Amino acid sequence: MLDFIFKLIIEGFFASVASIGFAMVFNVPKHTLKFCAIGGALTFISRTILLDFGFGIELATFIAATIIGIIALYWSRKYLIPRPVYTVASIIPMIPGTYAFSAMINLVDMNSHGVTPELIELFVQNGLKAVAILGAISFGLALPSLYFMRLNRPVI
Amino acid sequence: MKETDYKKQSIITRGIIKAAVLMSEFGAESILIEQTAQRLGHALGMDSVEISLIPSAIVLTTLHQHQSVTTTRRVHHKPINMSIVCEIQKIVIAIEKQNYDITFLLEQLKNIQPNYYNRWMVVLMVGLACASFAYLQGSDWSAFFITLVASSTAMFVRQELAKRRFVLIITFGVTAFTATMIASISQLKGVSATPNIALASSVLLLAPGFAFVNSFLDSLKGYLMMGWGRWMEGILLTIATSIGIIIAMALLNIKGW
Repeated sequence: MLDFIFKLIIEGFFASVASIGFAMVFNVPKHTLKFCAIGGALTFISRTILLDFGFGIELATFIAATIIGIIALYWSRKYLIPRPVYTVASIIPMIPGTYAFSAMINLVDMNSHGVTPELIELFVQNGLKAVAILGAISFGLALPSLYFMRLNRPVI
Repeated sequence: MKETDYKKQSIITRGIIKAAVLMSEFGAESILIEQTAQRLGHALGMDSVEISLIPSAIVLTTLHQHQSVTTTRRVHHKPINMSIVCEIQKIVIAIEKQNYDITFLLEQLKNIQPNYYNRWMVVLMVGLACASFAYLQGSDWSAFFITLVASSTAMFVRQELAKRRFVLIITFGVTAFTATMIASISQLKGVSATPNIALASSVLLLAPGFAFVNSFLDSLKGYLMMGWGRWMEGILLTIATSIGIIIAMALLNIKGW
């Protein structure tokens, strides 16, 4: 149990560093940086906990993205900052970079070394995982704002 | 009498569309652009503001006492800069609350300050961010440091290219090429047990997160044209990144697995 908490803290730290770096690429206002860091850590920690409970990676990612979507809605109302400033930086640690990269490498391999059933299997596996996780992230982010969006009411 | 009214209305229209174009250029959500324009219009005394958004232009009409003014502006997409979007949002709220007039808006839009971070700090932080991502994916320490070096250098290259105002596609391709060239040190025998994670993480700074997230948000809220435009933008940038990676790998003749 103690090991698990220790792992969560370390992962949260690295996730928040990743979020701050990306927030800087998007040039967010300085005072929102700490919220981006908190958001990144919260998102990744909640996904790790959900994975530990035995959820699939897609469902865990979806719920984590929904959580940051709801929190960012609250922050954006409070500090009058558009929501994507918080959310886009926070979900960066969950991006399925390795899966997408592997899928691309498999495609290149198929082109240069001939198509084999094993390569097709690998490609479909990696590609599906990447697409499923990306879809889970985007729908998770969009859902809270769709629920709270009513006609003729400002988003912020 | 009528003449001065018309002049005043067209000045207000130009001010509003300037704010809308800035927001669109620097990557704001469509619903935010539309509502900002409408709130500005109401605060400045227009009866209604209608806006039509497509990825490459904005058409805006203001209505005031049975007289309408319509104007169109071209939108040139620039690198994402959220602090300009936030800044415009702040100006709009100030105008709503304090009842400032159009001269305040034009003055503030002229003096808008993009919140540029110190470039070396950005280079360092992006390197650390990509390395942290590698750690989260389960890399070992040598892959961690190789990613740190590779993505810091890539970020430096990206800043240099951005300074020379290259097209985003060229910037992304060249940056991905640089990152992959350096990160492939991890492919050498015995350097790292997880070379693929280093290669995948070092190009993460090119992930077009805003393009895809905004594309989804826009489409789900009814701005389908903008959604498609942003989707295409994201896909093009991803393809540019992939081409950079593939060329670097072809040069080094890495097989991947």
